[in-house]
Amino acid sequence: MQNAKDTFYITLRSRLATVNPARTMTLRAVSRPGILVTEAEAPAPLPILDAFALNWAGLQADLQLPAILAQMTCEIQYSTAGTQANAGLDRGRTLEEMDYEVLKLLYPYSAQKMNYAQNPAATMETLVFWSEPEFGPVMTQRDRLSRTVKVTVFAFQEQGEQ
Amino acid sequence: MADLSTQNPCGLAQRVATALLRANGGTTACLQMPPLEGDSTNAGQIGLAAPGFLSLPLAPVVFRKARVSMQDGQLPKYELLISGDAVAAQVTQLQLSSGEALLAMASGVVVAGKLFLIEAVSASESQGQAYLYRLLLQETCGEWPL
Repeated sequence: MQNAKDTFYITLRSRLATVNPARTMTLRAVSRPGILVTEAEAPAPLPILDAFALNWAGLQADLQLPAILAQMTCEIQYSTAGTQANAGLDRGRTLEEMDYEVLKLLYPYSAQKMNYAQNPAATMETLVFWSEPEFGPVMTQRDRLSRTVKVTVFAFQEQGEQ
Repeated sequence: MADLSTQNPCGLAQRVATALLRANGGTTACLQMPPLEGDSTNAGQIGLAAPGFLSLPLAPVVFRKARVSMQDGQLPKYELLISGDAVAAQVTQLQLSSGEALLAMASGVVVAGKLFLIEAVSASESQGQAYLYRLLLQETCGEWPL
């Protein structure tokens, strides 16, 4: 299942670099596309603005198939306070841009599963695929707008895979 | 209306804060900083590669338990008071813009071999220069020695 999680993140990161090359952030001294896996970064009291954070939540396994089918819920969280040039009054527009980017990042809804624990990464035999996004309501906290999008990610557990 | 009176900062508040912290059980805390050259590989972003955090010592500091009400299931919170001079020295060495920038880059603080997470940062200033930084810390669940 870890390979599916890694594949999902790196697929979305690669697509973000194409969809909006300007959406970057500097994290741990590295400038990179504005998307991160929360559980692979240091805990922070506040979310990073104008970046996508992937949180892995639910997990179910279908054992009735020839190979175990894992269903993992990924919550994509993002927040914005608008831009400095517009004194934050464009935060609604900025959030809408991020909503649209989420749609673009998730389509097409599949990717070849990779094993990134090896160097170079090894191609696996099955696909990782995921559902259409389920957008949650906008949460307002003072000048910050946030949204959570839920996606169910499916992956077959291959033989020998941990 | 602008305040146009002449103010010549002489560093008095900074020296007083440093002396007070040193006299009141001053100790050393280490900021956990990202490496100067980050890991831009896939492994560095999916939790596979060790982050290689640097330990940046700050002294004198005073570490004490914060006066907040305890709740079930909540880890205790602590306060760390850091001398403005100690932060300024590291800001100069790392060529950063401010003490806040330095503290924002830190992923945690190690005090007496235990890691704490930074919940909030505030600075007390005199004549526009910080003389004391106050960090609100939360104990981490990990019990590994640092």
